[in-house]
Amino acid sequence: MELSESVQKGFQMLADPGSFDSNAFTLLLRAAFQSLLDAQADEAVLDHPDLKHIDPVVLKHCHAAAATYILEAGKHRADKSTLSTYLEDCKFDRERIELFCTEYQNNKNSLEILLGSIGRSLPHVTDVSWRLEYQIKTNQLHRMYRPAYLVTLSVQNTDSPSYPEISFSCSMEQLQDLVGKLKDASKSLERATQL
Amino acid sequence: MLLELSEEHKEHLAFLPQVDSAVVAEFGRIAVEFLRRGANPKIYESAARKLNVSSDTVQHGVEGLTYLLTESSKLMISELDFQDSVFVLGFSEELNKLLLQLYLDNRKEIRTILSELAPSLPSYHNLEWRLDVQLASRSLRQQIKPAVTIKLHLNQNGDHNTKVLQTDPATLLHLVQQLEQALEEMKTNHCRRVVRNIK
Repeated sequence: MELSESVQKGFQMLADPGSFDSNAFTLLLRAAFQSLLDAQADEAVLDHPDLKHIDPVVLKHCHAAAATYILEAGKHRADKSTLSTYLEDCKFDRERIELFCTEYQNNKNSLEILLGSIGRSLPHVTDVSWRLEYQIKTNQLHRMYRPAYLVTLSVQNTDSPSYPEISFSCSMEQLQDLVGKLKDASKSLERATQL
Repeated sequence: MLLELSEEHKEHLAFLPQVDSAVVAEFGRIAVEFLRRGANPKIYESAARKLNVSSDTVQHGVEGLTYLLTESSKLMISELDFQDSVFVLGFSEELNKLLLQLYLDNRKEIRTILSELAPSLPSYHNLEWRLDVQLASRSLRQQIKPAVTIKLHLNQNGDHNTKVLQTDPATLLHLVQQLEQALEEMKTNHCRRVVRNIK
C-alpha cells in the first residue's frame, strides 16, 4: 500500500496524546468511518463538542488521513498485522492500535461492500416483466389468432442514473428458446460453484 | 364474407380473360414476385411486347391480380367465398379455377409478407451467454464475484441489433422463474378457453 506523506503526518498527529486525548481519538476515528460508510452522514460529523478544542485545520487533516488510510486498507484487504505494522510506524501506542483494529474489523464488511460497488460494469439486468397477448388482427392482416409475448428487462446502468428498459416481443417458441438458454446458463453456474 | 371489387379493379382484371391460362399463371407469378420484391417495369414491358398490348394494360392486370390475392389473403376468406367473389367478374370456369388455385397456393406466403407490415417492436432472435467471475477492480482487490454476461440479439424491421448485458446469479434464477411462469400461462384454462372461442 502506497501512502502519501500527508497521510503519514496526519497519523503521527493522531498518535500524539497531546494533540488528541483518548476520547478525541475515538471520536475522530468513528467520524472517519461514519463519513465513508454512512450514506446520510452530513458535513457536521466533526462538530462534536469534545473536538472543539482542537485546531480545525488539524482536525480536517487527520480526518482525511484516517479516511484515506481506511480506504486503502479496505481496497487491499489488509489484515490486522499489516494495520498494526503501519500504525506502529506512525508511533501509535498499543491501546490506540487495538482501538483502530477493532473499529476497522467492525466496519470491514460495509467497507468492502462499498468498495466492491464502485466501478464500471455492463448494464445490469435487475428484473423482468412480461405480458401475454392473443393477436387477433392488424389493419394489414385479419384472423391472425396467435399468442405473443412482450418481455421487458429492467436494466441499471452504472454510467448514467437513468434506468432504461429493453422491450421485445417474441412468440411462444422464441420464449421457450430464451428460457432454455437461460436455464443452461444457470445450470452451468451451479456446476461451476460445485467445482 | 365476400370480397368487394371496385369498378376500377374489375376493369383491370378484365384483361385476364383475353389471354390464355398460361399467361394468367405467369401474371400470378409476377404478382407474387411483386409482393416479395417490388415492381419490375422491365418485366411489364417485355410481357406487353409479347402479347401485343400496352405495358399499362399489363401493369394494371398484374396489380389487379395482386390486390385480389392480398385482400383475399388478408381476410383469409374461404374457398367458397373466393369463388363467389370472383364469379361477379364473369370469367370462364377454367379461369376461376386458376385464380382459386393461385389464391390457395400463395395465401400462406402472402400472409407472412403482410404480417411484416404491422407495427412491431424489436423481436427476439437469439441469446448468447457467458459465465464470468470478477477477481478484482480498481477499488477492491481479491474478489470473487460471479456474473453472467448475456448478448441479446434482436430484430427490428430487418435490422439486427445486439445488446450486451450482465446479471448476477440470483437475478438469473429469478428471470428463469418468471419467464417459466409466463410460458405456463398459455396452458391455463383461461387462456385455453380464449383460444378455443375466438376464431
